[in-house]
Amino acid sequence: MRTSFPMGDISRRSFLKAGVAAGALAATSRWSPADADDPKVLNYLSWPGNADPYLVEQFEKENGVKIRIKEYVGGDQMLAVINQSPPGSFDVVLADAEYMHLLHAADFVEELDPADYPLKDFWPEFQNFPLHWFDGKLYGVMTDFGYLGLSYNTKEFTPKEVASYAALWSDKAKGKVGFFDWYLPSMGSISLSNGNRPPFDIDEAKFEAMKEKLFSLKPQASGFYTIADIFSSLTNGRAQLVPGIGEWITLGLRMNGVPVDTIIPEEGGLQWTESLSIVKGTPKRDLARKFIQYTTSPEGQVKMATKVDNKKSIPSIAGWKLLNQTMPKEAEILRMTLTGPNVMDEYKAKKIQFRQLPKQQEIADWNDAWSEFKSL
Amino acid sequence: MTAASVTTRASAIRRWSWLSRPRMAGSPAVLPAMLSLPVVLWQAVFFAAPLVFLVVVTFWQVRSFRLEPAFVLDNWSRILFSATFQRALLHTFAVASTTTVLAVALAFPAAYTIAFRLTPRMRDLAVAFLIVPIFSSYMLRIYAWQIVLSPEGMANAVLGSIGIGPLPLLGGAFSLQVGLLTLSLPIAVLILVFAMAGIDRTLVEAAENLGCRRGRVILHVVVPSVRPAIALAATTSFLLAFGDYISPLFMTGSKPPTLSILIVDTVKSGSQWPRASVIGVAMLVMLALALGLGQWLARGRTARREDAR
Repeated sequence: MRTSFPMGDISRRSFLKAGVAAGALAATSRWSPADADDPKVLNYLSWPGNADPYLVEQFEKENGVKIRIKEYVGGDQMLAVINQSPPGSFDVVLADAEYMHLLHAADFVEELDPADYPLKDFWPEFQNFPLHWFDGKLYGVMTDFGYLGLSYNTKEFTPKEVASYAALWSDKAKGKVGFFDWYLPSMGSISLSNGNRPPFDIDEAKFEAMKEKLFSLKPQASGFYTIADIFSSLTNGRAQLVPGIGEWITLGLRMNGVPVDTIIPEEGGLQWTESLSIVKGTPKRDLARKFIQYTTSPEGQVKMATKVDNKKSIPSIAGWKLLNQTMPKEAEILRMTLTGPNVMDEYKAKKIQFRQLPKQQEIADWNDAWSEFKSL
Repeated sequence: MTAASVTTRASAIRRWSWLSRPRMAGSPAVLPAMLSLPVVLWQAVFFAAPLVFLVVVTFWQVRSFRLEPAFVLDNWSRILFSATFQRALLHTFAVASTTTVLAVALAFPAAYTIAFRLTPRMRDLAVAFLIVPIFSSYMLRIYAWQIVLSPEGMANAVLGSIGIGPLPLLGGAFSLQVGLLTLSLPIAVLILVFAMAGIDRTLVEAAENLGCRRGRVILHVVVPSVRPAIALAATTSFLLAFGDYISPLFMTGSKPPTLSILIVDTVKSGSQWPRASVIGVAMLVMLALALGLGQWLARGRTARREDAR
């Protein structure tokens, strides 16, 4: 092959570029901006399930608008979509906290006025959530959160046996350790088990040590599962221990009679956090602000906590109060009762670390290590 | 077969030469050529152009999740020299080869039985049963296998009742082959059945009349007659198994990952379309080689026969 051909004459090159750019658009997931200028449509870039009528119908009725969701799976895809879409394509974006600094650095999200949102209703721990503020300015309002620890089959393991991540290496767990196929929470758990706090801000030596520890788990592994498959693997017993997942998976399964639970081991757990931001360049700033206000209101928060497809913890105490008044049974199941043990206990016990992107290494380095682990 | 293809080519040449004569332009003979035009266009737009694009993209770069035209060889060196890719390549090749051998070994006796042993009525029924799965969702069939093979699934319940088990059937080389054969075996059997149904029965009878035992008839009459079909069944099985994504993902939990899983992983984190395209091109090269080998095996016999004449 002549390696020089893409560098050939200009006309051929520009022809190639044009054709290829058209192809690239088809190949990647670009959002059609057809509704960008429609004042009655709120364009929402979000994880799947967040435009469920249960969540947004009330907002749509009150404001006489339609919410048009563009779904993404994973922060990388979210960044790819937003990077490839013209400004104004989206009005609101729901993002995981670890991607907020990338959204902010690329100037994709607007500064928010804290006075516009009921931050005072939040648990004090979440009123100034560090990953949503840059230089003392607010860029995202927290909507929900959850913990990631060690999920286990309660028929095969006792809570005492899984009190430490060391359970993953036990003889009993040989060939029974399932992995959620995403490097970040999985490797974060292994980093925690190595005593790294915070788990994602580690130097080269600690990174190598973590890799080595991860690779030593290979004989224990049963498989690497996608979101859909992790549910079935926990149900059919292929995976009996899974690090780096949480109640967002096990609670729903348990309510359906599957013997699974999640524990935050003594080495600590991770917290995922979702927040809403206004996308820069939106002509519908007011509507976007109203949507964030609605989602963080007590009613919106209760809906977020009790939606069918996955259960979430909510940061608003006002939301907790309303949940306890209207659905006391759900409040108990979701561990959001105001008296007695609740999800804030682990947080207050300082067992929780934020899920973040790697600080001292490239994302690709962590990802390559994960791919290598899978192929061992 | 050779004779037939020679005639087709000859008639094609004749047809095109008619086309070049202006006074024949309006003749009905132009119609077949016109009818083939959409196919050519379709292939150009949906096969040739994306293929060129795939190769071009391997030299591009991704900057902050955006695909940018460039000319760098970094994607190639990064993928080809990575242990992960090399392991996945060997694994995928081994898996697809195993499927090919298993599919042909299982399909041949099955096809022989269907073509020679069953009554015409039963044969039609068997063919119908082989065609039906091709039209049912492959994904659905794999989910069904998960239920059958899972630790507390149907297979282990049956084994348990006779005192065996529970066996770790799901997640491993066994379940992977079950999944891949679900995809390839019906097609391999069908190819061989149709080929065997076309064998001239008088040849078989002649061999039997001359005192050949069943084994020799199969070896010296049936196998040589369906040789191209065996090669076709083998290449088809290899192609299906080599590129499959569903079985490795759901039957083994990507442990270890195949090349198709590696493509998805490469795109999933960091939107590395160029590197994924490198893997894609590498897979296409492997498939082209497999296809070439199949053709060569199929043609070898005819060539030899013609030499002997």
